[in-house]
Amino acid sequence: MISKTFKQEKVGCQLLEAGQAQPYTPGTKPQFGPVWDKTLCVRCALCYIYCPDAAISRQEDGFYDVDIKLCKGCGICHRECWFGAVSMQEVE
Amino acid sequence: MDTYTLYAAQFLPFKEHFGPKGHNACKGCGVALAVRQVYKALEGSGANIEQAKWQIPWEESIIVNSGAIAAGSQPALLSIAKKEGALHICFDNECTGGRVDTAVMLKKLPAVASASGCDYSATACPSHPFDLVDKIRKAWDCAGSAFVHILCPCPVGWGFEAENTVKVGRKAVESRVFPLYEIAQGYYKITCEDPNPQPVEGYVKAQTRFAGWSAKKIIALKEEVNANLELLKSKTQKTL
Ligand code: SF4
Ligand code: SF4
Repeated sequence: MISKTFKQEKVGCQLLEAGQAQPYTPGTKPQFGPVWDKTLCVRCALCYIYCPDAAISRQEDGFYDVDIKLCKGCGICHRECWFGAVSMQEVE
Repeated sequence: MDTYTLYAAQFLPFKEHFGPKGHNACKGCGVALAVRQVYKALEGSGANIEQAKWQIPWEESIIVNSGAIAAGSQPALLSIAKKEGALHICFDNECTGGRVDTAVMLKKLPAVASASGCDYSATACPSHPFDLVDKIRKAWDCAGSAFVHILCPCPVGWGFEAENTVKVGRKAVESRVFPLYEIAQGYYKITCEDPNPQPVEGYVKAQTRFAGWSAKKIIALKEEVNANLELLKSKTQKTL
């Protein structure tokens, strides 16, 4: 258990050290997650560059896949793929 | 002759600063997307990204001078120290608490920054990632201080579906509400030229924050956008 402490901050509320802040994981899975169709994908990496949560990463075979722990299910990757290779499907 | 730089998404650095734990922004956050792309642009340039300072720019003269603060918008500012001067990046999600008017949307922060002595200033939008990466790298490489103003669409504040973040950003650029340009040592250059701009109505209709706007107000906005664009174009011609 971390004990709570009090600290005076400078005017402007700039927090210059992490203090007791913890790294954050979304925790719950999104309702819908992206699924790739490798027959349509041309590996252009647009889905990767547009993901705000850095959830998409390159796999060893050159295709892209999602880390569902980071994904929030926003659907930008589905929307921005020119080739319709990403579809949003329910996550079990 | 112009020199061209070619970018492809596969050749940007794969290192993620949000990983392995992620962040707690809303889904489809435009600011998170812009921050991620900025980090990718600065990777390997020697910038001390981990030590960069985040602040609400209430004391920054370049912002205070402009209409943004007067209109109640408080964009986040990231300042990174360079060899000479600093690189200021303004992540602007136009969060004015639901109230929106033309003064908020058509502010000209790069012009103000250029007038207050910045060597390089530009506008960018995460819907055009390679343009953004190019500008951040130019801003980092220029001799003095630099300023980049990034428009970050906000699904919650602007009222659109999270999956449309990139689409709305693209509409803002293509309808010329937020033209992409850069000012290097006083020389203007429009970086995203399109002879046939999209109608402003398309941008306005995509968001619920304009729901209360009358047709008259939208026409006034359109006229102001056109006047802005003409002014920008005239400045480009003068300095070439
Ligand atoms: S945007 Fe579409 S085609 Fe490009 S890498 Fe992603 S899934 Fe493949
Ligand atoms: S749904 Fe959104 S968060 Fe999930 S992988 Fe696609 S772009 Fe990233």
